[in-house]
Amino acid sequence: MATIELIDYTLEPQSAGNGIADFSFSLFGGDGYCIQTDSLDDAVLFLKALATLVSPRKGTYWFNGVQIDLSDYRNALPCKQRIGYIASDAALISNRSVRENLLFMRSFFENSLRLTLDDHTAELCRRFEILDKLERHPGELHPRDIKNAITIRELSKHPEVLVLERPEDFIDHTKFGFFKKTVAAMIQQNLSVVFYSSDMNFIESFSTKKIMITKGRLTFS
Amino acid sequence: MNHIAGSIGRRTLTAVDHMLNLFAFIHSISRLIFHRSATGQMMLRKFTLEQIYFTAYQALYVIIPVALLIGSLLIVQFSMISAQYDLGKIMVLLIVREIGPIVTALIVILRTATAVSIEIGYMQVFHEIEAIEMAGIDPLRIIGFPRFIGITAAILCLFVVFDLVAVIGGYLAVWIFTYIPVRNLLGQIEAAITFTDILVGIVKALSFGLSITIICLYHGFKANIKITGIPAQTSKVAVECFFSCLVIDVFISVLFYL
Repeated sequence: MATIELIDYTLEPQSAGNGIADFSFSLFGGDGYCIQTDSLDDAVLFLKALATLVSPRKGTYWFNGVQIDLSDYRNALPCKQRIGYIASDAALISNRSVRENLLFMRSFFENSLRLTLDDHTAELCRRFEILDKLERHPGELHPRDIKNAITIRELSKHPEVLVLERPEDFIDHTKFGFFKKTVAAMIQQNLSVVFYSSDMNFIESFSTKKIMITKGRLTFS
Repeated sequence: MNHIAGSIGRRTLTAVDHMLNLFAFIHSISRLIFHRSATGQMMLRKFTLEQIYFTAYQALYVIIPVALLIGSLLIVQFSMISAQYDLGKIMVLLIVREIGPIVTALIVILRTATAVSIEIGYMQVFHEIEAIEMAGIDPLRIIGFPRFIGITAAILCLFVVFDLVAVIGGYLAVWIFTYIPVRNLLGQIEAAITFTDILVGIVKALSFGLSITIICLYHGFKANIKITGIPAQTSKVAVECFFSCLVIDVFISVLFYL
């Protein structure tokens, strides 16, 4: 069973790009899809559609075999919870500290305000060097630290699918090697990855298949 | 002629569309009240308390001096023209029924409604709402609902504080600082005030709270993706909240007293 299936999808262009017309796409556990495109906007649009952050003009979205009615945003929330989204428009909640941001999802679903970071998240914080900045608010941090915190938040939610937009730009180059190792380990545990990148090393390491988006048409190789 | 008719038609349709959207938003929020979920209760409680702290407690520094000024001014002015004959009645009529709820609402609009609208608009523009959604959490539930409950409860509390400070504080201020004879004022107020006056005050405070919260949340959540839209949206929120409070004020006064 596919983790995500987009059937007969048509995506309208957002602010720029061509949009993507009439395509179907299936993503299985452990897949690594790399996007090649003539328009970065279309690549971003596709990634956002996978994360259910944009609704299609037509088509159906399936997650783990269940059709999701995207006409009501609330129906997509359980899927979003299972998708890690590391992209230029990903954000931290600015009126909460980094620690609260990292614990936000767990605090809500475990219904507790007394949670502490689990070992995995604490280790990620240590490796991404934000352990001493956990009590600060995003406005007090360097953009590099904000991106690191977003990366930790998305990796620590144990996603089934990881959506990445230019990870080589998003993640500090000194931490990029560690990030690749972490993602590789997660792929071993059946994580699917869909990404747009211009880093050949990253593409070779993680892509098993290619998506080509050219003039609003999507093809596979 | 066609141009004028077209313009009027478009404005009417826009206004109707706006009203329908507001009602749809009220429906979404009220569904959250009746559809309680076990998850997130602690967070909701925390965010509601934070909102009450900001809207009620931190506003005391504003509302107490304003209530004192208005209360003592009214007592001074009316004790001169009415020679205390019906000063208690006038105080009840003006402060408890009319000025109390509307001034409280005005202070909450200036302090809280604008702040909430800017905060949520900012969260919308900088994709923080999307970040909450990506955690699998309904932003309306985690951001909208605590503000809805918090602001409404805070207005009710502030209204009680305003009335007490305006009447008792105003009386004390006049008694201490002037020679105007107001000895029987509190007794007159006690005799003049009825259960309906208190009920109307509470109904007004609650209605103002609901309308202010709905309007500021609605505009915050529907903010477009441009940051330049936020100032215009904030000014619209302030005007719309105040206008809706005036309309509700007149409606409730007519309903209870005419």
